Amino acid sequence: MANKSGSIYGLTILSPVKDDPHAEISPSLAVRMYLQTLPVDGRGPFGRVSSTHMARLVVLDDVVYFGMPSCEEHLKSKYLIFESNFDGELEPYLKQLAAEASDEVHNIWQHCIGYPGVQNVDAFIAYMKRCQVETTFYFADVNNKTVQQTLQALQTQSAVASFIEKNQGKPSEELQPAFIEFMSRLNKAPRPKPGSTKGKELTDELL
Amino acid sequence: MSNIHGKAYAMNTVSPMKPWKTYILRLFFFIWRHYKPLGDGLVQLSFIHFARWVIVPRCAFPRLSEQQPKDDLQYDYLFFFSNFNGTWNQYIDAFSAVLFFGLNNIWRWSEKFPGSVPVTPFKSFIVRGQVETDYYYTAYPHATTNDVKAAHRVQAALGDFARQMEGMPPAKFADAYLQFLVKVQGDLGETGEAPVGT
Amino acid sequence: MSKLDITDIQGFALRGYNFPFARFLFLKISDKQKGRECIGRLVKYITTGERWDQGKPKTTVNIAFTYKGLVALGLPEPSLLSFPVEFVQGMKARGAILSDTGKNSPHHWDAVWEHEVHAWLGVFAQSQPDLEYQCSELLTLLQESGGATKIDSQDAGALQINGQITTKEHFGYTDGFGNPEFMGVEKDSQPGQGKLTADGKWTPLATGELLLEYADEAGELPVAPLPHLLASNGTFMVYRKLHQNVATFRKYLKEKGALYPGGTEKLASKFIGRWRDGTPVELSPSEPSPAIVGDKSRNVNFTFGNDLDGARCPVGAHVRRTNPRDAFGFNGKLINRRRISRRGMPYGPYTPEDQPGTDDEEHGMIFMALNASLFRQFEFVQQQWIEYGNDARQGNDKDILIGNHGGSGKVMIQGTTDPNNPPFLCGALPNFVELRGGDYFFVPSITALRMIAANSVDPR
Repeated sequence: MANKSGSIYGLTILSPVKDDPHAEISPSLAVRMYLQTLPVDGRGPFGRVSSTHMARLVVLDDVVYFGMPSCEEHLKSKYLIFESNFDGELEPYLKQLAAEASDEVHNIWQHCIGYPGVQNVDAFIAYMKRCQVETTFYFADVNNKTVQQTLQALQTQSAVASFIEKNQGKPSEELQPAFIEFMSRLNKAPRPKPGSTKGKELTDELL
Repeated sequence: MSNIHGKAYAMNTVSPMKPWKTYILRLFFFIWRHYKPLGDGLVQLSFIHFARWVIVPRCAFPRLSEQQPKDDLQYDYLFFFSNFNGTWNQYIDAFSAVLFFGLNNIWRWSEKFPGSVPVTPFKSFIVRGQVETDYYYTAYPHATTNDVKAAHRVQAALGDFARQMEGMPPAKFADAYLQFLVKVQGDLGETGEAPVGT
Repeated sequence: MSKLDITDIQGFALRGYNFPFARFLFLKISDKQKGRECIGRLVKYITTGERWDQGKPKTTVNIAFTYKGLVALGLPEPSLLSFPVEFVQGMKARGAILSDTGKNSPHHWDAVWEHEVHAWLGVFAQSQPDLEYQCSELLTLLQESGGATKIDSQDAGALQINGQITTKEHFGYTDGFGNPEFMGVEKDSQPGQGKLTADGKWTPLATGELLLEYADEAGELPVAPLPHLLASNGTFMVYRKLHQNVATFRKYLKEKGALYPGGTEKLASKFIGRWRDGTPVELSPSEPSPAIVGDKSRNVNFTFGNDLDGARCPVGAHVRRTNPRDAFGFNGKLINRRRISRRGMPYGPYTPEDQPGTDDEEHGMIFMALNASLFRQFEFVQQQWIEYGNDARQGNDKDILIGNHGGSGKVMIQGTTDPNNPPFLCGALPNFVELRGGDYFFVPSITALRMIAANSVDPR
């Protein structure tokens, strides 16, 4: 199925944006302005929709004209493109989006034609599916690990490097207990948060 | 509002295709899905987290109400969304150097595609068709796809070693630890900030 | 390809002279017209690529200009603005890209770089008296012409150990291996210098990786200024004064060497990818080999394809970082447009190996490299392969020798289960090398020099 690669789903949504010639700020500009205020790290909406590996929002003003002899043509509506790469299946993801990021979802999609609100989750899911376009070809380099598994692995990688450095050259009788202690601390460590920019600092605290 | 978040770059391109050419492109993607070696180059380059091509036929731009004006387009549109590592120039240089066959077969059906070799006209084509990203999120901004894969290898090796080590007498530990080191020694690069975009 | 007119190309662009003494004069153009006349008088001193059939000259002289220097000489604006962006900006402005921050930032640079440096006059000589004589002659010319003044100068010279001239540098390594080979540029051809073909042979790189107005490895012409005659047979030089913290390096190597089972010399070889005598670690991982070093057909002839784990030559070793050869696959195609031609020379007196050395003394390496595209070649290697490690699958880990570590960061020396070649982590890395200044220069052809001197550079 073209939208999936392994356990990762590649969602592509094109939502037509409202047109309001009397508005002081056009709906598409309003979307842009709002997006500019959103934090891009874990504090933003996708930090909470935690199965999201990577996601973007793009306001498509128009199609592109490459010059003669190709023909110039224009879209009659602007589109909000939502491209997301997440773990699992579509409906649970959209449900999570509606539940965990309801404010942001509403503030963004309220400017789009046909958006029914987030309160009625089924209606929201149906609306998003109407805007979905099929991914023709999808490539995912790592397509069998969840966000949590990846964050955990990155934490482990950093912790292992620190352990090796700190314990280099130690005799076996010291190394083994040190390693056992290290594993215990690593297993008890708080789960790393998505979108976090504090990689090494967390590891240093850990050890 | 940025195409870049940490080490990942969100590139979006749009290009028009005459509808009869769309069928050929779909056929090429079909072949690619079933003939693995075509994808080997992409895997070996190892600087894309996720990428997708989306053909939106001219009648398929979503229209959700009667009040929404009806489009009357001549072309189908090929969208490309990439989440890649490295600078813009580095990315396209690499593609042009080693993946020109695949690239040509994807984009030759788009209007005014100059070929992916030599690289400068190809870069102009991409610039023309690139649409900026308004909001970009990544769950692990300080890790490239190389870092992610290395991390998973380390995680697996550590799990194996920890299991193996249970109840191991100290005399054997040193050897086992050395073997563990050899297993993970290539995968311990630090994660962190990306070099500045150019 | 068309035959190169070596009499039109500055000799310095085509090869290193291997003269043991040097002085680099940094000039300011005082007046457009007089400056041009001065250049006109200097042209006859400029050493070209001509063969030295009658024996080596006593000295060589070459000249190169910064963007501001070309402005000061009154080139027309459309021509000036057609130069590549990174050259127009100059190296100081590119600090973020090059990681010239912290200890490498312009705050720590030599005073000369606070001035507007317009030109570099490079003099190489066979002896100190020859050097003094040539420089004196040039300075007299400058003075008489009234067109340019000397802001400062930098001496450099081969390290002399026990009265012998060597090709060593201050950390004790033998330098001068592995410059790339370009099509049409005659020099002693050595296997391993060029690029790899599909069947594993070595062949020269495209001329356009070094010289402007020739096809490059991408099958197009590198960005070059207009008019064509101004650019043709010219190239770009990056000049960087790299101070070497000899004490810090020796102390670090001694401390880590004491812990490394293979011993200090082996560890030192792992840092660079060559033993101190120049033996490539890839060809001889256990010990230096004078036989290999002395054999031109072998001493740069190696690949990493059978050592992808880095167990012989670590993935982070300096020679592997700066020229990965076939380590990235694709028959080296990702490397071929990232090669630079080096002309570096040490400066400052040698500190004998049995001494701890100092960090404060004026000693280091004058790094000079030539390439057709500063952005695509030098800047790329500096940004992506030296100060960053993702292409080598080493995350953010920097080049151990010249990375801007700032006291943290690490490099993993890969190994095997052999007790003499174990994995070994070198952490808390200090800055072994610190940048003390530099800039980007345009090295014009003889024709271009004459055009500049005659004020006959057309905008188009």
